[in-house]
Amino acid sequence: MPGDVQIRCRNLWKVFGADPRGFMRRHDGRPTAQALRDEGYIGAVQDVSFDVHQGEILIIMGLSGSGKSTLIRCITRLNDPTTGEMEYEGRDLLKLSERELIDIRRHRFGMVFQNFGLLPHRDVLENVAFPLEVQGIARAERVDRAKKMIDLVGLGGRESYFPRELSGGQQQRVGIARSLAVEPDIWFLDEPFSALDPLIRAEMQDEFLRLQSMLHKTIVFITHDFEEATKLADRIGIMKDGRMVQLATPEELVLNPADDYVAEFAKNAPRERIVSVGAIMQTPTDAALGAVPMTAKIGSVAEQVLTADGPVAVTDASGERIVGSIDRATVTAAIFGGRGPEARAA
Amino acid sequence: MKNLLKGVAVAALMLAPGAAMAEVESDEPIIIVQNNWTSQLVLSYVVGKVLEDMGYTVEYAPSDSQLQFQAMADNDMDFQVEAWEGSMKSAFEKAVENGMVDVGTHSAETREEWWIPNYVLETCPEATNWEGLNACAEQFSTAETKPNGRFVGPPADWGKNYADRVKSLEMDFEAINVGQAATLWAELQSAYDRKEPIVLFNWTPNFIESKFEGTFVDFPKPEPACFDDASWGPNPNATGDCGAPHSGWLKKAASPRFEEEWPGAYAVIEKVDFSNAQIAAAALMVDVDGMEPEEAAEAWMEKNADVVASWTE
Amino acid sequence: MTEATAPTTPRADGEGVSLAALPLWGRFAAIIVAGVLLSLVWDGATRWPEAWTLPLAQWITDFINWLKSEATVFGVEFKAITRGIGTALEMPVDWAEYLLYRGFKKVGLDLGPLPWIAVAAGVTIFAHWVGGWRLALLCGLSMLYLATFNVWKDAMRTMTIVVVAVPMAAFIGIALGIWVTRSKTAARIISPMFDLMQATPHMAYLAPVAALFAFGPVTALIATVVFAMPPMARCTILGLQTVSSDVVEAGQMSGCTKRQLLWKVALPSSKRTLMLGLNQVVMQTLAMVVIASIAGATGLGHKLLYSLQQLRLGVAIEQGIAISLIAIVLDRLTQAYAYKETDHFASEKTWAQRHKHMLLFLVILVGSYVLAEFHRWASIPPSKFVWGAGDAKVVLFDAKLLARHMDQAIRDFNVVAFDYINPIRDWVTLWILIPVRNFFLWLPWPVFFGVVSLAAWRLGGKSVMLLCMALMASFIVTGFWVETMKTTYLVLIAAALCVLIGVPLGIWAARSERAAKIIMPICDTLQTFPSFIYLIPAIMLFRIGDFANIFAIIPYATVPAIRYTYLGLKRIPAVTVEAGIANGATRMQRLFKVELPVALPEIMLGLNQTIMMALAMTAITALIGSTDLGQEVVRSISTQDFGRGILAGFFIAALGIIADRLIGSWAAERKRQLGVA
Repeated sequence: MPGDVQIRCRNLWKVFGADPRGFMRRHDGRPTAQALRDEGYIGAVQDVSFDVHQGEILIIMGLSGSGKSTLIRCITRLNDPTTGEMEYEGRDLLKLSERELIDIRRHRFGMVFQNFGLLPHRDVLENVAFPLEVQGIARAERVDRAKKMIDLVGLGGRESYFPRELSGGQQQRVGIARSLAVEPDIWFLDEPFSALDPLIRAEMQDEFLRLQSMLHKTIVFITHDFEEATKLADRIGIMKDGRMVQLATPEELVLNPADDYVAEFAKNAPRERIVSVGAIMQTPTDAALGAVPMTAKIGSVAEQVLTADGPVAVTDASGERIVGSIDRATVTAAIFGGRGPEARAA
Repeated sequence: MKNLLKGVAVAALMLAPGAAMAEVESDEPIIIVQNNWTSQLVLSYVVGKVLEDMGYTVEYAPSDSQLQFQAMADNDMDFQVEAWEGSMKSAFEKAVENGMVDVGTHSAETREEWWIPNYVLETCPEATNWEGLNACAEQFSTAETKPNGRFVGPPADWGKNYADRVKSLEMDFEAINVGQAATLWAELQSAYDRKEPIVLFNWTPNFIESKFEGTFVDFPKPEPACFDDASWGPNPNATGDCGAPHSGWLKKAASPRFEEEWPGAYAVIEKVDFSNAQIAAAALMVDVDGMEPEEAAEAWMEKNADVVASWTE
Repeated sequence: MTEATAPTTPRADGEGVSLAALPLWGRFAAIIVAGVLLSLVWDGATRWPEAWTLPLAQWITDFINWLKSEATVFGVEFKAITRGIGTALEMPVDWAEYLLYRGFKKVGLDLGPLPWIAVAAGVTIFAHWVGGWRLALLCGLSMLYLATFNVWKDAMRTMTIVVVAVPMAAFIGIALGIWVTRSKTAARIISPMFDLMQATPHMAYLAPVAALFAFGPVTALIATVVFAMPPMARCTILGLQTVSSDVVEAGQMSGCTKRQLLWKVALPSSKRTLMLGLNQVVMQTLAMVVIASIAGATGLGHKLLYSLQQLRLGVAIEQGIAISLIAIVLDRLTQAYAYKETDHFASEKTWAQRHKHMLLFLVILVGSYVLAEFHRWASIPPSKFVWGAGDAKVVLFDAKLLARHMDQAIRDFNVVAFDYINPIRDWVTLWILIPVRNFFLWLPWPVFFGVVSLAAWRLGGKSVMLLCMALMASFIVTGFWVETMKTTYLVLIAAALCVLIGVPLGIWAARSERAAKIIMPICDTLQTFPSFIYLIPAIMLFRIGDFANIFAIIPYATVPAIRYTYLGLKRIPAVTVEAGIANGATRMQRLFKVELPVALPEIMLGLNQTIMMALAMTAITALIGSTDLGQEVVRSISTQDFGRGILAGFFIAALGIIADRLIGSWAAERKRQLGVA
């Protein structure tokens, strides 16, 4: 599944304090937590390395203060990292001139903000057309393109409304339309739905998936909500105290958490929607009845397996070859994870 | 805009403003200084209107009574119709040194002195001279000055130190300075309405004489010796034991550029001359009849057409 | 409070407090005793020795005289440069004059000034466009007032300066504000200058500006711009610094260049704060334009001073109300413009529908010009409104007659009230004012210096202390100690009275909506009403003296005490008050044990503002007759002693800054403790 690497980050550090660069030099680029504390520096991002692949949804998850927002601001160069390397399609992001950086932002990057970041003095149309306007695109064209984007996010007819006259969900739709107006290659979303009510949030998540199914962008998405992360992500990077603790698929996180911190998140995750049949199936048995595909999430086959009288056969993605079997106990254990009756008994 | 007007309005409305104007030397506006007392305002308008009728452009600029002279020396302003010896002498003379032109003296004489409303004479009949006034000093006292009488003096920056005179004449008075002329009149009005004894600084000609009845208090007539020779005057041990001159000059002043720039107008301002009665009449129209200074100027010019005509001959 | 917070060990707690306080009070006592003792053995501690006095005032005067007479910059006379600037500034003033009251004859156009009908209709129509019918009504009636009360031409003269000064001050203010947000050096230099400029009384600007520039409207314009500009710069800084980071980042991610980020994102996003700044510029401009009449500005202020000089109080009040109305109209219009909602359905309407306000105005404009060709009253409103002609004339309205009745009423009141009020005035003067003044005049400067320094150190730390010490030293060593103490005495007493009057009124307004509805508009009016109108009634009732001075300060300086108390009480979180109610506090207990302690920091900031305003007013009450710093400022205008005037203005500002730092530090600390910072 992974496409080409679009963004490559190596050993990113973002340190706040009196003289961050001098501090990093004194500690050979790898200060300890003790050193940070002693000298009164804050390591918002510490030694983070990862790649973002073409077309994937990479979600960076962490609690507030974990450094996830700082990280996305480093990548977009809203904040420059203290040390480290960043490449975008092989170009060194940190060596870009002002002009080149603006150029990349104008054509390649799009970003959505937690508090929407809409311009209060412009109506919906003017907000969405804003990135096109600063590029100097002619009025007729930018209105045309902005209108298309507004229709895409379902706000057609409200072009002349001002942000303050819209609900939070609607405002974020404007934010999304604006970030997509330049047809970016990479789409950054910084806690886009965190400021919204739970119901609206769920609706916007579906909307997001709908858009992505049409647009196939490369996405870096920040959230503090593990459930949201597992619902939307191809891969999730979990951050704690500035460090990337684990970067893996949701399934791997749930099944093989790297440490207790990740396990704590994984415990409450909706496993039935994360874990696929293939990840927990056993060896094929002849007694198996019916068939479920190995790529299916266990939630979607649970009823079939739990009501079956014995193990159910598992087929490969094409549905032609039997690759394993699954039974009631396995499914139950997987769904309830550490919380099921077996676990308690053990 | 103009075309539109012409289209809409009847042609008859487009009457040329007034009669044809005489040729004048310069279209540059003559800036006439205006101060904040009535007679000066009315007389400024009178002179201004005369010059305008001759075809000159006139503008009026309000100014402080002290600052104006330097501004005239600098050619920022061009003409002042009333310069008073009593309160403006030093600023006037300094400005003349710096180039301002002294355009001559009016017939009117000015006087600045202690002054009492006439009702004071009912309780202090001798108050028309300083010794009589001093005898009933306590009548004029207030909580702060008791037992001394209170003399309400002019603003401190008018260059008169009455505290010194009180000391020289050994009077039982305390001089309290006001911040501005209006304060004097407020004190006077308040006391006058209540018939309370008051003695304050006043001068003539001004609007006060048309509104309030009163008299100046006589002090020893000043002679140069009063200020040089301690033995002169009532107090043999002090200088300055005398009053202010009974008749001070009232002058006109012009900017250095005036004569060159507008010789015709200069000839007029040289001739302009007001008497005490004329000045008081002008002030009365505003202060008693309630006219605006500009209206009063027109009315004054109507009444005194011959005077005005004599300037422009 | 202590009982409630430390119920277990009240004794120990109490002891702790007194122990901590003792050394501090001891230090204060030590300073006072040492200072007084010093003054007994050394006269120099009572009055700074003349031989050591820094002749700074003289240096400044000499410097300015040198500037205006001899100085050259690259071979060009300095005076020629300022004259050049003056001439350049005259141009916009001239055009505003042509438009508003002179007409265009001078530039060869046969076109009169805007007829008053057009101006009045224009303002009303604009008011309707930005604020609906209510605002239109307010503005329309105000314009009618200007037309009927015989002040139109002078109002337009005043507006001439306003329409030129406001855009200039706004433009310079925004530019400086942007600069400060971009450059740390600029912030370090300019921010304290703004503090100083705003704390310096209006009048102190006049003499030096008048000296350097040509006398007349340009001087008024420059002084006005200098005075009105800082609030714009401050609001620009505030606006730019408080643009939400999301908005800025959204702009950056949209690919804005730095310039685009400023002009398309940051500035427009802070429109409301900027409009607030503009609003303040308008108000300050109007305040200054009135005072500038002392140094050569024509218009309402000039006429007002003249009316007062003639004791025509009724006319002065009519003119003062005109100034207030202009201020209120401009205030409401700028505010309404800032909050104006945009029409969503504009695109569905016809051109004429969208521009109906503009069209209506154009029709009235043309119509009134045509009318003005026939009738003079359509161009400039007449002084009396008369119906009919000849013998059948009926006077409908005569502002002068009304004014005369007002004059008489004031005088009658004065005669009646004097007998009752004067004993009070005498008693207060003899037993309070004179003793307090004598105390301040006796006070050895080391005592004042030491006590204020120690207080500054306690409240604000070393930097505040050093600032206060420098400011105090400035008036001690330059020989202004006596004048400064007289001002201090006057302002402290006035401020105390303002608090005594203002705080209860503020509490009342906060408690009763109905009271608030009456008190708050009165506050608005008091602040826009030209302050020197109070002077004459004050003198008539109280005679010259400090009592009259203080009385004239109070109406103006009480306003912040009322406002801040009101706001402080209103801003207390509802839960705090509800908790008090739930605990069974009576109304009085709630006020004294809950609300006032929580609102105290805010009220103290009100006191701070009250002191600032009282200081500003000392320059105005100097017109009554005083011998303090204010008098020095006013006198310098006519004596041309710029050094004394500038220094006196600076020391008034210095007193304000000292009070501001002391109270501000205290309030900030207290707010921090209360967790409401």
